[in-house]
Amino acid sequence: MIEAVNVTKKYNDGNQALKKVSFLIDRGEFVFLVGQSGAGKSTLFKMIIKELVPTSGTLKVFGRDVSRLRGKEVSVLRRNIGIVFQDFRLLEEKTVYDNIAFAMRASGASPREMRKRIPQVLEQVGLKKKVYSRVNELSGGELQRAGIARAISNRPAMIVADEPTGNLDPQTSMDIIKLLRNINVKGTTVLVATHDQQIVDELKKRVIYLEEGRIVGDQEKGAYVRAL
Amino acid sequence: MLFRNILFFMGESWKNLFRNGWMSLASIGVVAVTLFILSVFVLINMNVHHLTEVIEQDVEIALYIDEEATSDEREQLVENLRNHPEIKKADFVSKEEGLERLRDQLGEENGLLEGYENPEDNPLRDAYEISMHDPEAVSSVAREIETYPAVGGVEFGEDVVENLFDFTGVLQVTVMGLMVALALTATFLISHTIRLTVMLRKREITIMKYVGATNWFIRWPFLFEGFNLGLLGTVIPLVGIYFGYESVLQWIDANLKFFPSLIPLETAMGQVIILVVPLGMALGIIGSLISMGRYLKV
Ligand SMILES: Nc1ncnc2c1ncn2[C@@H]1O[C@H](COP(=O)(O)OP(=O)(O)OP(=O)(O)O)[C@@H](O)[C@H]1O
Ligand SMILES: [Mg+2]
Repeated sequence: MIEAVNVTKKYNDGNQALKKVSFLIDRGEFVFLVGQSGAGKSTLFKMIIKELVPTSGTLKVFGRDVSRLRGKEVSVLRRNIGIVFQDFRLLEEKTVYDNIAFAMRASGASPREMRKRIPQVLEQVGLKKKVYSRVNELSGGELQRAGIARAISNRPAMIVADEPTGNLDPQTSMDIIKLLRNINVKGTTVLVATHDQQIVDELKKRVIYLEEGRIVGDQEKGAYVRAL
Repeated sequence: MLFRNILFFMGESWKNLFRNGWMSLASIGVVAVTLFILSVFVLINMNVHHLTEVIEQDVEIALYIDEEATSDEREQLVENLRNHPEIKKADFVSKEEGLERLRDQLGEENGLLEGYENPEDNPLRDAYEISMHDPEAVSSVAREIETYPAVGGVEFGEDVVENLFDFTGVLQVTVMGLMVALALTATFLISHTIRLTVMLRKREITIMKYVGATNWFIRWPFLFEGFNLGLLGTVIPLVGIYFGYESVLQWIDANLKFFPSLIPLETAMGQVIILVVPLGMALGIIGSLISMGRYLKV
């Protein structure tokens, strides 16, 4: 699904956020990306969705070098990746339904598909009773459920979540990460960047450790604190 | 583009337009002023041309033949007139015909021409009435043929013609300058309005990008918005021009009995619409393209 070979990212101000990072993530995996603030987690995610391009090295997503994707191909890439944000990025004044419809329409879905799919995804994230609630009336956990519902509405092959529990209390964080695990069980590859020790330790999934732009560890059934 | 998307884009563009109330109004206003001035100018220009054509039919050079000219010289003159590229036609008017015409014009009862019954006493000279292809060439051609053999004198309506062309020339340059300045202001304001929409919709745009909307899916509503602003800007001047021109025509009809008739309302409006509507749309689209180039890089 993702193949990184010596990926380096240097920002314009000379700051080297990633230094020769190499790893492989297979279809159906659940992977945590952990590391100090500034380690380069967000930078890596941005390159996966081609918001940024590597300065050197190659990053292949779905077998294609993201640096080479042009115009419409970038749209196709993003339609196959569900993105979950720490700050949810929902449209406050719209309802949950309209938020998902908005995203589905933008990615090319027909009104028929939307009517069919939106109740399905809300059921899946446990938000069915809030379909017509406005987003600014929801709790933090509900907001993230709505965000995840939107992310899976296009049936993406992969989900990338950058600190999805960053704004949530511990109990809600556990609920959200279990929701992501359930989605993963159905076959979707899930990639989570996090500072949240509790959720990493609970799930016992693969963990990639980043430190100052370098991968310093990569463990199956890892814990937040890297085993030596 | 899918039909359902077109409807969606149009809906979005109207929403955006109303959200930016004042900026939209300012843009529409400047487009309207630009197009209004253009329309007035076009109407004036069209009518000046129309009137010139009416006058042109009277603009001729009268060439009087020298009494002393020999028949060789006269033949030479005919040859010269026939070969001149600027001359459309040259009609010979004998002095007898001339006198006859004068009688008709003055009326039978007029005693002014008494005493000229005898051909020997005819005070007139043989003449040519010359009309031109290009009325602007009248004075230069007149000066040229004055030097031909057998020419006793040349007359033409010099001042009227030259002043008419001078006037329209100066007017044209001034109005063109003003038009360009206004059109630039209009596109600037439109692009600004659209930029405002882009700012207001920053969140939506970001989300659309993340979920894989194509560039054009994101851009279309903004293009439509510019288009709408331009199109709305054409409505006001067209309505204004329609009623304004109508009342000018009515006023002239009522007060200036002998003024040559201007271009009729329907014809004039047809010309103005053909010019103004595409121009309004173009201003709008150019305005939104500018702001997209700058602010909607995906
Ligand atoms: N647009 C940018 N321009 C310059 N430097 C940047 C930019 N974005 C990030 N950086 C720098 O790159 C490094 C990695 O940042 P990044 O956001 O990827 O870290 P992170 O691991 O996501 O951190 P956090 O856990 O705080 O989100 C940091 O040193 C940061 O200051
Ligand atoms: Mg980050």
